[in-house]
Amino acid sequence: MQRSRWIGAGALASVLILTSCTSGAAGVDAKQNPKAPLELWTRTTPGGPGEKGALQLAAAFEKATGYQVKVTAIFDDFETKLQQRAAQKKLPDIVMNDVTQLGTMHSQGLLREIDLGKIKDSKQIIEQGLKSGQSLDGKQYGLPFSAQASALLIRKDWREKLKLDVPRNWDDFAAMATAFTTQDPDGDGKNNTAGLAAPLSTKRGYASWYFSNFLWAAGGDFITEAGKGTYKPAMTTAASVQAMQWFRDLGCKAKAIQPGAVTMDTPPTNETFESGRAGMFVVGPYLLPRFDKSLGKDKYEVVPMPKGPKDATVLAEGGSVYLMAGSDNQAGQDAFAGFAVSVEGQKKGMEGATGYTVQLPVNTAVDISQIRPDPRWKTYAQAYQDSGRYAPSIPNWTPVRQVTADAVNALMADCGLDINAKLGELDKQLADILKEQGIAAS
Amino acid sequence: MSLDQAEPAARAAAGSAPREPALRGGGTAGRRGRSRRSGRWWTPWLFLAPALLLFLYFKFIPMASALTMSFQDVQPYLGNRWVGTENYATVLQSHGFREAAWHTVVLAVGETVGAMSLGFALALLMEGQSRRLGFVRSAAFLPVVVPLAVVAELWRIMYHPTGDGMLNSVLGLVGAGPSGFINDPDTSMASIMLTGIWRGAPYDMMIFLAGLTSVDRGLYEAAKVDGASRWQRVWYVTVPGLRSVFSILFILAAIRGLRVFTEVFLLTNGGPNGSTEVVMTLIYKLGLEQNRLGVGAAGAVLLFVATLILTIIVQLLRRRESK
Repeated sequence: MQRSRWIGAGALASVLILTSCTSGAAGVDAKQNPKAPLELWTRTTPGGPGEKGALQLAAAFEKATGYQVKVTAIFDDFETKLQQRAAQKKLPDIVMNDVTQLGTMHSQGLLREIDLGKIKDSKQIIEQGLKSGQSLDGKQYGLPFSAQASALLIRKDWREKLKLDVPRNWDDFAAMATAFTTQDPDGDGKNNTAGLAAPLSTKRGYASWYFSNFLWAAGGDFITEAGKGTYKPAMTTAASVQAMQWFRDLGCKAKAIQPGAVTMDTPPTNETFESGRAGMFVVGPYLLPRFDKSLGKDKYEVVPMPKGPKDATVLAEGGSVYLMAGSDNQAGQDAFAGFAVSVEGQKKGMEGATGYTVQLPVNTAVDISQIRPDPRWKTYAQAYQDSGRYAPSIPNWTPVRQVTADAVNALMADCGLDINAKLGELDKQLADILKEQGIAAS
Repeated sequence: MSLDQAEPAARAAAGSAPREPALRGGGTAGRRGRSRRSGRWWTPWLFLAPALLLFLYFKFIPMASALTMSFQDVQPYLGNRWVGTENYATVLQSHGFREAAWHTVVLAVGETVGAMSLGFALALLMEGQSRRLGFVRSAAFLPVVVPLAVVAELWRIMYHPTGDGMLNSVLGLVGAGPSGFINDPDTSMASIMLTGIWRGAPYDMMIFLAGLTSVDRGLYEAAKVDGASRWQRVWYVTVPGLRSVFSILFILAAIRGLRVFTEVFLLTNGGPNGSTEVVMTLIYKLGLEQNRLGVGAAGAVLLFVATLILTIIVQLLRRRESK
């Protein structure tokens, strides 16, 4: 009896071990089959306009080249789901995701190098865009298909009511923020408006993401290149401290940032701007359709960011096409990447009022004002071209963004905190992160 | 159930010659019963199999793989690499881990004590048979049913930090405020605790209500006859009568407290100035946001161990007390 019980348990255990080990053994160099349908994952809300845009792009690609594409839209936990597929050694063929994901995916071995020689029109891609797809060693692992940069949204009606000019430098900017806060621009007799809407929560590193527009315009930096692909922390340089001090004064002294900013990520901040509780907002072009609808196109204007102590540098971002490792249809992968950045693909991606996959074109042969006559898009395109700056492609940008967001959030939330001590502490944390990633300058 | 087990029952149910077959059936069942008890040891397991299989695949195997992952640098595509206890070191030595652990304990204790005392008070108020009380009880239970994401958004609106915010205008009536609530490093922790208590108290109330029905009515009357005041009756009759309820609630609340994540994540995400960072939000940042699943697994294992130790301690205390 006892023996049979053990035999039964043994049999059960071995069955389990077998079933849990069936995933394995998949070739990294898969046998090529140019007819195999391409599996494409895009990070956007399933069923939303972004998915429709991706489907349109895929359909146009199928028509133009004859390859087959299956589009899957995933938003929540995109990276974790990708890890699950990696564990099965069955990655999708193509991933369309944020440019900042390059480092993580590359260091996990998920990407294959892109041969620019096989990409049609690769010579026409905007240079800084192309660079955003390169790893530290200068090899191309991502191909940008869409770009965006930040510009300044201003409540035009408020500005005109208070008889102010569009800000040209940081002093104008601060003066306007203060005026919007104190002079009752909405005329309801209540002290309920703020100058600037800012998502300063630590969630997903928003505080750092938003502050980078100001930090870089002042000539400061989170980390700075120190040659040979190494970096050193830079949050205690004079320019960085000055930028932080100025931004902090905006919140702590002038009280010109919306109350509760330190616990707000983007959704409540967007609401702050569209419900008329803040008069300025530094943000990318993707929110224009939303604000046109909720606030009204005539109520606000889009202007380039005013010049800071150094220049008007703003954060550039965008999406890249990543060709995943282990695909059985590399020719199809190359063709898709080529199509996405071609004039035809870019134009297709910009179609529609909301469901576009391309914000700003990366192909220099595409003139945005021809496809989108709205001059506000031209403003964004100009900001990207003249002043856009990407986050550096270090192996993992997320921890840098997290610790800087924590520090910015702390300084904005607690106005009594010693700024130099806090930034000094931040520099130490940044140094640890750089060391851990093996890119610290000695 | 196997066929031969079903057979006698079916024959009896068929009703042909009721007496004899029933006797015979009974005889065989008795004879076979012994052999069945000794031979078919797997019968109970067969009944448990569906649940066990589900548990195995969705609980035990993932738990085991989380344990292995916690010792690995997880790179599913390149192959996981053993790193020993490096992941644990990353979590334990990470910036702010000690503060986060302390915040977790403070939050767990505060929410547990707050929710239990409020829940107990509510239960005492709402004990009884009246139909109207049933309605009030359901109303009081609502916070538990509402999704936490909605609760967090509601409280964010109530916590609006200016004078015209909802709670601040109430504070203004008594001449206090305006408070920054979740936006001020000094009050953020208390604000999250308040939200947690508001959410947790009705749940505790329900369990207390169930416990109260088991307290012998006669004891109340005896205490009353002996001249005990209302408070004395609660303290000397009700509370001792609910001892087991208290300890179960304590374990549940402590586990809930240690794993606190959603309300912190949605309301402050550990900010402002790290004043509400708890272990789970830290693990989420280190493991999931940075895509280092090994580190995340190590954090989860640590939390599991902490919960296990806490549960064992409470159980030991209970056992000693009952002796």
